[in-house]
Amino acid sequence: MKQLKKPFMALALAMSLLVGYSAPAVADYTFVVPQKPGSGTSVWTAIVAKELEKHLGEKIKIINIPGANDIPGFNKFHNDLQSDPKVVMVSHGGNGVSYLVDDVDYNYYEYDPIGMMNLTIINGHQKSIDPYTDEILFSAGSGMNPDMMAHILLKGGPGLTMEQGKEIFNTQYKFIKGMSGGERRLSYQRGELNVTRESTAAYNKYYNDAPYSTVWFSQGVFNLETGEIDADPNWPNQSIHEVFEQKWGVAPSGEFWDAFELVRNFRDVMQKALWTKKDNPNTPALVAAFRAMAADPESMAKIYVKTGKYDWIIGDDMKGALDILRNQIERDTYANLVDFLKFTGKDAIFKEDVIPQ
Amino acid sequence: MLETYIGVLLLGVVYGFFVGLIPVAGATTGLIAVYAFVGYFEDPYMLVVFTTAIVVTSSIGDSFCGVVMNVPGAGGAAATMIDGFPMSQRGEAARALSAAISTSWINGLIWGLLVFLFLPWYTKIVLYFGIREMFTFLIFAMTCVVFISSKYWVRGFIALIAGFMVGHIGMDPETASPRWTMGWDYLGDGIQMIPVMAGVLAFPELLSAYRMKAEKIFLDNALIKSQLIQGIKDSWKYKWDGLRGGFIGGFIGLIPGIGGNIADWFAYSQTVAAAGKHADKDAYGIGKGNVRGVIGCEGANNAQKATSYVPTILFGIPGAPFEVIVMGLLMYVGLELGTPSVLADGVFFDHLLSSYLASLIIILPIAYLFIKYAVKITNVPFRWYFWPILASLIWSCTQYTGLIEDYYMFAICCAVGVALKYLKFSRVSFLIGFILSARIEKSYLQFSGLYEWSDLFTSWLPPTFLALAVAAAIWGLFFNKAKIDFV
Repeated sequence: MKQLKKPFMALALAMSLLVGYSAPAVADYTFVVPQKPGSGTSVWTAIVAKELEKHLGEKIKIINIPGANDIPGFNKFHNDLQSDPKVVMVSHGGNGVSYLVDDVDYNYYEYDPIGMMNLTIINGHQKSIDPYTDEILFSAGSGMNPDMMAHILLKGGPGLTMEQGKEIFNTQYKFIKGMSGGERRLSYQRGELNVTRESTAAYNKYYNDAPYSTVWFSQGVFNLETGEIDADPNWPNQSIHEVFEQKWGVAPSGEFWDAFELVRNFRDVMQKALWTKKDNPNTPALVAAFRAMAADPESMAKIYVKTGKYDWIIGDDMKGALDILRNQIERDTYANLVDFLKFTGKDAIFKEDVIPQ
Repeated sequence: MLETYIGVLLLGVVYGFFVGLIPVAGATTGLIAVYAFVGYFEDPYMLVVFTTAIVVTSSIGDSFCGVVMNVPGAGGAAATMIDGFPMSQRGEAARALSAAISTSWINGLIWGLLVFLFLPWYTKIVLYFGIREMFTFLIFAMTCVVFISSKYWVRGFIALIAGFMVGHIGMDPETASPRWTMGWDYLGDGIQMIPVMAGVLAFPELLSAYRMKAEKIFLDNALIKSQLIQGIKDSWKYKWDGLRGGFIGGFIGLIPGIGGNIADWFAYSQTVAAAGKHADKDAYGIGKGNVRGVIGCEGANNAQKATSYVPTILFGIPGAPFEVIVMGLLMYVGLELGTPSVLADGVFFDHLLSSYLASLIIILPIAYLFIKYAVKITNVPFRWYFWPILASLIWSCTQYTGLIEDYYMFAICCAVGVALKYLKFSRVSFLIGFILSARIEKSYLQFSGLYEWSDLFTSWLPPTFLALAVAAAIWGLFFNKAKIDFV
């Protein structure tokens, strides 16, 4: 038996070294994703990183730091990881909503922006219902709040006030908590939920040919110059303001619309965005690689399959978009938003420091 | 081309089997590691072959951990150690392994064929099983598994509640805000299954075995061979335990959201119930090294893995945690499960079915052959392989984020596990409470958000599950005589 002792000890040593070695990246860059492996943003990052590597000329490793509302991973980047110039944060729309109404450490305005996709979200409903008059059954979640508000807005019509919005939420709405994305999709297929939301690519994947579902509206595309919501090129005449006008005959307006627009923009403009520490010496190389990738039709074709065809905003252009977003945070609108989300059950907080001085 | 596919298949078989042998790692951890080299798979169908081989063979490999090392091989294979390791200690490791492998294999074959040959037929079942059915099924499952009790039943109950509370750490699904995280962001997504398995179940066993002298049980080749045959005979003799386990695992895998980790405990609880007073009079009771305990739960794990492909392929909705990783990997190479293009892709299904069956066929002789070498470990003083196992536990736990917090969490779970074992609070009860906690809370939120209690009685299945739960509770309270020694 003694002759086995040495091999066992050697194995122990080898495995211990393996453990010690497992954390550092065997790559040049590390992209931090605030979700579990296999999640939407993880897969998106894997696809983008694969294309970006070609133009960056360096290897990219992806690490996942999941957590509640996908906040812990971004906080970890902000507090610990950003000091490494080879670390890049990948955020998504839910992080934008959390920036407004959750207790977070991260702050978009303290980083170098690398690139982002100006995406949108599609809402569909069961053909068997009239979403304007029937009670809406919709899955809850932090990233779902802009969609829930859009539903109420469309039901309520022009000039909707926050109090009227609350009334509609109370009487014509069921916001079902505790559902994962998969459960939401199955429940919608079963008819337990009668409204759902997806990215363009996911909607096409799950419901495009489904006989029971129809597109209600797209959340539209944010215009970087005007700060307004433009028509979605992927869904003609179906952007939210167009659908609103078709139903009510006038453009949407009122305090509820303003609160909705604020949270919607913070989610959708930064659906997928990449950040590094401010004045990171690698920022120019990363931005240049993104520009090269965005100009490469082969790379973009692979990315569009996953995302739908939406624009990239790269480098300093992102700063302009961030400024527009910040200037949309008016105190009353923001207070209305926080108050309404609290009313719907979310533990939302009003943060003085996100309001531009 | 065919040679390349065969090469990839064999690579997947060996890798999957190896991953199964790593304590608590399981298919999910093994598949996550594939992300590191997924870029090398230019042909998407090659990745289908590789991932399928990993899924199939890791389920066979994880039996070894429970039986010869007394640590769970994966989240869904923890119950095996309760009866498997005592058998191993009294010199019946080869019999236990043979019974476990045979049962797991045959259920994998049955449920694999049922899944892949009749795939579209299951659409109706998955769609029929809604929120009310899920909620009442979980009540039934919980009622069954809580009666897997130790003889220290009061402390077992306290441990169950403690596990339930620990499972509540993370995000409050009602307010979407952190709950009981004490300001530690790392806990925001809750405590993960792997450190709990590794720290609470595996580490205390390692620690107590460290000072244990190796039993000088000499198993020569003839004895190993006879035990191997005996294990196969046991699988046949107790086929209904194995098939029941397979049915439970198969059903749980079919319905997304129930959670695969409960499958083997549920199957084990049913074996305990079925054995009752009629457990072999001349053998050890269930929970004390009875081969039925091994067979009952081993039926569940491969069946559950096979059927979890159903919602994943048909709807693009993962039927189990490892399927999330499979979906992500296949999406990376352009195969989006659940889309009409994949459903109409005959080549995809050919590769899936052939690699599933080929992996099963290849792994069986390998696993039987490996028994001969695996049982030798029972003759090796535990302290010699304490460090390699500990290292592999740490490796598995640090696959979550790879950051220092993973190490802290493993250390905390180890401390909790040692305290529970020392104070004789059932760690199985703790684990069951932990597994069911978040699942039941979310299921209740979904149910209460959409329905009234009276809605449970508007279709036949929810009241059936409730009636079964009541029956299980009555049996557990008044007729259950089986008490497991494992704390």
